[in-house]
Amino acid sequence: MTVPSPPPALTPAAPSPLAAPPAPTPPAAVSGASASPVNEPPVVIGDDTTGRSRAVSRWRRMRWPLTVLAAIALLVLFLAVVRPPTSADPYAPDNPEPDGAMAVAEVLKDQGVRITHVTSVADAVAAAGPDTTLLVTPNPSFFADDQISSLNRTGADLVVLSPDYSMVAGVTRNTVDSVYGEAAGPVQPQCDDPAAQAAGALDLRPGLFDTSTTSDTVRPDMCWPGAAGAFAYARLDFPNRSVTVVTDPAVIRNDSVLNEGSSALALWMLGQHEDLVWLVPNPMDVSTGDDEPTPAERGQVNAVMPPGSAPVALVALLAAVLLALWRVRRMGPLVVEDLPVLVRSAEATRGRARLYRAARARGHAAAGLRAAAANRVASRLGLARSSDANTVVDAVVAATNRPSQQVADLLYGPPPADDAALAELVRRLDILESEVHRP
Amino acid sequence: MVVTWRAAALMGLGVIPVLFLPANGTVLVWATVVILACVADVVLAASPRRVAVQRRVPASVRLRSEATSELVVRNASGRRLRAVVRDAWGPSAGAGPGRGSGERVRPASGGPGRHHVDLPDGEAARLPTTLVPERRGDRAAGGVTIRSLGPLGLAGRQVTLPVPGRLRVLPEFASRKHLPSRLARLREMDGRAAVQIRGEGTEFDSLREYVVGDDVRSIDWRATARRREVVVRTWRPERDRRVLIVLDTGRTSAARVGAADSTGAPRLDASIEAALLLAALAGHAGDRVELVAFDRTVRSRVAGAAGPRLMPAMAESLATVDPVLLETDWPGVVAQVRTRMTQRALVVLLTTLDPAAVENGLLPVVDQLARDHTVVVASVADEEVAGLRAGRETVAEVYDAAAAARGDLERTAVTTMLRRYGADVVEALPDDLAPRLADEYLALKAAGRL
Repeated sequence: MTVPSPPPALTPAAPSPLAAPPAPTPPAAVSGASASPVNEPPVVIGDDTTGRSRAVSRWRRMRWPLTVLAAIALLVLFLAVVRPPTSADPYAPDNPEPDGAMAVAEVLKDQGVRITHVTSVADAVAAAGPDTTLLVTPNPSFFADDQISSLNRTGADLVVLSPDYSMVAGVTRNTVDSVYGEAAGPVQPQCDDPAAQAAGALDLRPGLFDTSTTSDTVRPDMCWPGAAGAFAYARLDFPNRSVTVVTDPAVIRNDSVLNEGSSALALWMLGQHEDLVWLVPNPMDVSTGDDEPTPAERGQVNAVMPPGSAPVALVALLAAVLLALWRVRRMGPLVVEDLPVLVRSAEATRGRARLYRAARARGHAAAGLRAAAANRVASRLGLARSSDANTVVDAVVAATNRPSQQVADLLYGPPPADDAALAELVRRLDILESEVHRP
Repeated sequence: MVVTWRAAALMGLGVIPVLFLPANGTVLVWATVVILACVADVVLAASPRRVAVQRRVPASVRLRSEATSELVVRNASGRRLRAVVRDAWGPSAGAGPGRGSGERVRPASGGPGRHHVDLPDGEAARLPTTLVPERRGDRAAGGVTIRSLGPLGLAGRQVTLPVPGRLRVLPEFASRKHLPSRLARLREMDGRAAVQIRGEGTEFDSLREYVVGDDVRSIDWRATARRREVVVRTWRPERDRRVLIVLDTGRTSAARVGAADSTGAPRLDASIEAALLLAALAGHAGDRVELVAFDRTVRSRVAGAAGPRLMPAMAESLATVDPVLLETDWPGVVAQVRTRMTQRALVVLLTTLDPAAVENGLLPVVDQLARDHTVVVASVADEEVAGLRAGRETVAEVYDAAAAARGDLERTAVTTMLRRYGADVVEALPDDLAPRLADEYLALKAAGRL
């Protein structure tokens, strides 16, 4: 709100009737321009806004950005709801690509199997138990020994696809050994296992050897033999659970699940129980599912920081946010003003010099320097501006006792051949000029 | 709504309880405490919209001299006002840090024109800020920003009030240092000095008794015959002549001149200095001075001001003259001179001897001016070009020297043409132009050519 300044104390209380009544003056009329000492500058209180008007103007300013942001958020939400969540992890139950396993997973779901998709051993151990199936898809890295023993201890029926050497040994209690083998066309299972019987002939990559001895209580059931006595499938029936090892993960892959009896084998292996825990190992995962707390649970930023560092880091983050808020608020807007032209007068001269140089116009440059020198010399010798070359040369010869030909060459000679000659010409012109004094 | 560093520090103090109870819940509780404290501070802060602010600025100040912008802040909020107040001015107004001192007011860091204020309800304080303007013209003030903090100093409210303020920055008139010596010369010519020589000035002044040393040629024999003693005529310089200063504000006046290592100043500034010195001198000499700043239209004019009102009027009207990036309309200048000057006058054209611009603009019309008036063309030379002319070190410098020499030749040709048309030409470096033009004026006056 802008109010007119109070009148000075010496102003008569009753102005003459002829004087106009003092009207509230707008600030623009009072300020500066009519700077007579009577006119006090205006007193300003507030900026003529109320909480409501500020809110309205803020909303007016922000509504388009907010509308755009809301539209984007709605679009993202819509896409997230409409599109089924899929992933690109190999052998994941939600990956529809050729290397995924969504086909088998969907059929299992239709048959009433509840699939729990996990990516860490800890989660798998937590989800699996007796009367569930635990599927371990190929690990791009290796399982540690304690992870393998954690998986063994769950009590769930274990189905392991394409395991590495230590995994095979671990889950089969050293009764099966693994080698590398090549598939050589469909073969009959040649064993009594019901799953194998149901699947029939399959083209699987073999790689398992039976190394059990008679002292082992549980001996593996080996199926689908390949070259050199290796098998593609091993099944061990422990008292409360079973372990199935298949060397070739193609039995569940989307692109090969329909080959021969692969689908029958996959469904038979994975559909034994109503609960299926589907472990897609993550190479960075080191959890074992034992009861030790994770760094996050212990209040650590990561494993090497001391306990309680996570809340301290949070405090520091919040303090940094407040610091940023403190620094980001300016003390009022910038004051703008018109800037003056910043072009130097000498730029025209410099530009011309560069043009001379770029065009190698030594003749022009030398002519300018010579004419200027001749002009100065002539005026110093008291010659008329219109004097011709011979007059000037004669006067200079008289003043300096130099040979006439040399002076004529210097002042009116041919253009220099190169830059060095131009510099030399300038030097000699300077010397000549310094030798000429008033007569 | 603003927060201060104190809020961040308070948040940081939360490390102590967290070390005793390392849990995220502790952080949440502490953050809530900090936020509640900040909100309480905002609520308890004095409303900056209920503070009466008045800005007192002197009407005008000379360039590079000191002025004080004073804010009068009266706390009418009903609470104690703890605030930082910023008196915002544009960069070229040259605002310094707040200058107030005392228990109510002290300077605040963070930029020019900032004051810490601690005012009980109903009290007022003055917040002075020193301004040393760096550019001529009207410098408009920005708003007044009040950041009112709560009793804890954690957070507060901020508002920028549109408080009007304007400072007119007059030309520096640094050339006034040349005025005393030129006035002394003027007094010598005027006959007030001890020595009086015939031929100084051309206007008959009075008759007086012969004293030894007077030129015998100045004896008025008729008057001597009428009286007993020998009487001589005295002469004085013409008075009440008209001087019209035409300031070219076209594009060539915008170019900067000065040493190569400085940012330089526009040509126009040197022209203004010369115009001010000439006006002061001519005003003292009893001539009537008028001024027109012209490019394609009249930008500023001074007419009819004389005596003590002349220089303030000149400074005021030259303060806001700025170069315009347009080609000067020289026929328009001639028309202006014709309408303003009906009798013979001294017309001083403060412009640039840029060969191309002069050939197309001034040369075709200068003879029309020179026919009716005494014309002086004054131009600002460039120190940097003078430096280029002397360069010999490298090949590039030799080419620079060649270009400068070529420019000199062209300027000499233009000067010769102007002289042939009857105009006098004064060309000098920025600092020398004003005294040179004053000398030219004195020479013309001594020769009786006005």
